[in-house]
Amino acid sequence: MIDDRRSLPLRIRVLSYLVAAVFVVLGVCFWYFQVVQHARFLEMAENNHQRTLPLRAPRGMMFDRDGRVLVENRYAFTISLVPEHSRDLSRTLAVLSPALGVPEAALGETIARHARQPRYRPINLVTDASMAQLAAVLARRFELPDVIVEQVPTRQYPDDALGAHLFGYVGEVSDQQLTRVEFEGVSSGTIVGQSGIEQTYNQWLLGEDGARRVVVNSVGREIEVLGEVPPREGRRVELTIDADLQRAAEEGFKTLGYNGAAVVLDPRNGEVLSLVSLPAYDPNRFATGIDRTSWTALNTDRLRPLQNRAIQGRYSPGSTFKIVVAAAALEEGVATPDYKVNCPGGGVFYGRFFKCHLARGHGLVDMRTALEKSCNTYFYTLGNLVGIDRLHKWATAFGLGVRTGVDLPHEIEGIMPSTAWKRQRTGERWYPGETISVAIGQGQVSVTPISLAVMMATIANGGTRHVPHLVRAIDDGDGWTPVPSPPPAEVHDMAPEHVRALHEGLWLAVNGAGTGGRARVPGRDVAGKTGTAQVISIQGRQSAAGRTERDLRDHGWFVFFAPHDEPEIAGVVFAEHSDHGYLAAPIARHVIETFYAKKEGRPLPQLTPPAPPAVVASAPPAGGAVGGGGD
Amino acid sequence: MFERRLYFHVDWLLVVSVLALTAIGLAMIYSSTYDPIRERVGTEFYKQTWAVGLGLVALLVCLSVDYRLLSEYSLVIFGGSVLLLVYVLLFGFVAGGARRWIPLGPVNLQPSEFARIALALVVATYFAENRRGAGQWRDLALGAAFLATLAVLIARQPDLGTAVTLVPIFVGTAYAAGMRPKVLAVLALLAVIAAPIAWFAVLKDYQKSRIETFLDPEQDPRGAGYQQIQARITVGSGGLTGKGYMQGTQGQFKFLPVAHNDFIYSVLAEELGFLGVVVTLGLYLFVILRSLEAARLARDRLGAYLVVGLVSGFSFQVVYNITMSAGLAPVKGLTLPLMSYGGSSIIATMAVFGLVLNVRMRRFTN
Repeated sequence: MIDDRRSLPLRIRVLSYLVAAVFVVLGVCFWYFQVVQHARFLEMAENNHQRTLPLRAPRGMMFDRDGRVLVENRYAFTISLVPEHSRDLSRTLAVLSPALGVPEAALGETIARHARQPRYRPINLVTDASMAQLAAVLARRFELPDVIVEQVPTRQYPDDALGAHLFGYVGEVSDQQLTRVEFEGVSSGTIVGQSGIEQTYNQWLLGEDGARRVVVNSVGREIEVLGEVPPREGRRVELTIDADLQRAAEEGFKTLGYNGAAVVLDPRNGEVLSLVSLPAYDPNRFATGIDRTSWTALNTDRLRPLQNRAIQGRYSPGSTFKIVVAAAALEEGVATPDYKVNCPGGGVFYGRFFKCHLARGHGLVDMRTALEKSCNTYFYTLGNLVGIDRLHKWATAFGLGVRTGVDLPHEIEGIMPSTAWKRQRTGERWYPGETISVAIGQGQVSVTPISLAVMMATIANGGTRHVPHLVRAIDDGDGWTPVPSPPPAEVHDMAPEHVRALHEGLWLAVNGAGTGGRARVPGRDVAGKTGTAQVISIQGRQSAAGRTERDLRDHGWFVFFAPHDEPEIAGVVFAEHSDHGYLAAPIARHVIETFYAKKEGRPLPQLTPPAPPAVVASAPPAGGAVGGGGD
Repeated sequence: MFERRLYFHVDWLLVVSVLALTAIGLAMIYSSTYDPIRERVGTEFYKQTWAVGLGLVALLVCLSVDYRLLSEYSLVIFGGSVLLLVYVLLFGFVAGGARRWIPLGPVNLQPSEFARIALALVVATYFAENRRGAGQWRDLALGAAFLATLAVLIARQPDLGTAVTLVPIFVGTAYAAGMRPKVLAVLALLAVIAAPIAWFAVLKDYQKSRIETFLDPEQDPRGAGYQQIQARITVGSGGLTGKGYMQGTQGQFKFLPVAHNDFIYSVLAEELGFLGVVVTLGLYLFVILRSLEAARLARDRLGAYLVVGLVSGFSFQVVYNITMSAGLAPVKGLTLPLMSYGGSSIIATMAVFGLVLNVRMRRFTN
């Protein structure tokens, strides 16, 4: 038996020490959590209840040279889910699915795709929600504490596909882009330009996102706003583009039923007045994130609507190249404007007969007539005299075979062959016979439409190769600041009499007996030249089974400037599978008429669809065995 | 019985400490039920204020009636307690899946809170009247029958948490009454053996999952582990000096469920920081040690046993709740005496200190 008279106080003392010891341990535990690990838990607590919601900055608007809105913004509603606030995800989806009209499985898939991102970051379920979806979700907001509705500024292209390739499109910045210097400071999820002007001038257009720091409770409801940094809209940009000319050019293609490209420049400074590539796409569809099916469809479309033909298409220039040959011969002193060649329907060069497109021959022609009538024999002769390397030099000076430097992404360069080029490329020497084909724009030479437009502008202004550019002024909130034109890429003052001779020849090609008659505008002194880009060789033509007849038709070129004495407008029209350059000319005429109508304040001309064309396609091209280049 | 001179021997230091903890508890309930959107405090605060008032009355009553008189009626009190618990099981008010309350007008009475006092009283009486105390197995087993009766009834509600708090009351009394340390060791061993049996035979799935998540809270961060993780965040983010009174974000924005009840101490740790924790831990420790001193000074074994039993139950509950509030113990519906929201809890705890003061106050009387 215990003598508790002694043991009771002892036992109570034991209990006291025990309790005291436990309290000391507790104190140490709290010290460890609250002092040692404080920073870690504080961060967790703040993640719990503070959110930084980005306030997306609207991108800068774009205007045409007359101040008309080309690209603007609208507000779209997005519906997102914040996984961290979901107590019962399957219930949320069950409520959400009928409200949005989206199958539960599809919603689940979207969420699964973002499973690895932080749980506090919203997952976008619907971008650009319809009013019905919005109403349905807002009506159930108390059942859906994990669903948020946000207003997001979204790109809007008011004229749908007008200028699609010019403006480009926008899309969420990719992980790969984020690693690049030009996207420094851009946060994931930001909408950035992915092509066209949107891409080139992304940094101007971007603006600065704002942020709102808010306190939310455990179901994600905002309790209070701690602070807000308003977003700063992107800089406004005034383009060199003339919306009327842009529309006129696009209408021209559509009315005549061709795809293709057109570039219209101000030959005095290189401003791009319009830039067309067709077929196009509707950039509005990219603005809220294009769906995978549409993207795949655009990418696999045989007509390649995503390719900007104006700067990425490479075609043989055909007879338009004769302008370069003539200019080179003049400037090199190889020929004068009065230099004459007899055309009996072709000529023998290096032991081989090269046909002219006119079998009976043009007779004795000088340079003006040769340009007017596009006499192959004359340019075979000139090309042969100048030689490939000097042709290369002058073609490059006028802008062919090199990038024009236009402020659009992904421009490619054409090919302007030379002896060095061939040696480097194939290891073989250049055969003089090859020069004969090149002299009429066939063979190895190829150009992009924009480079041909630059060539034409350079010839028009007498030898100054301007860099085509798209921006006249920007406004970063303090009013418009002009953006100076880039310095010319090359200045070569051609002899005035040479310029005059070329201009006269090109004027005759439109206004005389030439093939450019369909571009004639009475009283406007349009100068121009047609060309044909061969699509497929005669031999190839026979083996190309399964292609439609139209696919095998040649492409037509028309290069122009006006008026011929003091040119104010120059450009190129490239009509895919139009078969003949003269069929591209009416598009140019419509642009030129629109240009003058605007300038003189008259109503803009309307383009009437042509009568059903006569059957011209089935006949083989008029050219000979080597190259057609007849028109 | 009501001799006025007795009141000169009331341990005012203990009274002040108990009231201080109660006041801090009220302040924390005010903070944790405050609704920042509606800018007003929850009704819980006002209910609790009333309960504190009733608690003071209970304290006065328990102080005034000589504990030896209470001891004489201990079997009656115990029997009444059993009847109440049976009544609860049959007709009790159900909330949250458990039948624990008897509705009494605007308040709900939770008899299990008062059953603790009945147990302490009856066991102290039994061991004090038993010549051998708790030194023999037979005496221990007979005393344990009181524990078992109440524990089974309370566990049936089900309220395993409260049932478990009865154990330290019994063990504490028995220890004071001479239970040999060897027996304690055997009991501990039995508990270890019983644990796996209990795991498979007694515990319900949700109880198991609580223990499982305690061992690995991250495995179910939205479910059972949620409270534990949030409790740790709440406490840890408080830091040395806390976020300031009513500035706690975890409690205020309801990341911590039932903050005003089981997790009141987490809120305190968040808002008043480590310094607040040290002050309150010190107050609790003082209250416990001061009470144990009352046991040491007690005039008779009955008084000593009674106080040790009551204080053991109180200490266990304080330590368990505080451990839980730091996310260091499985979450169990167990209040923090004197601070948590809960009328029955505060009234019963006040009654406990009424008895402790009662024993100390009468140390010189015969």
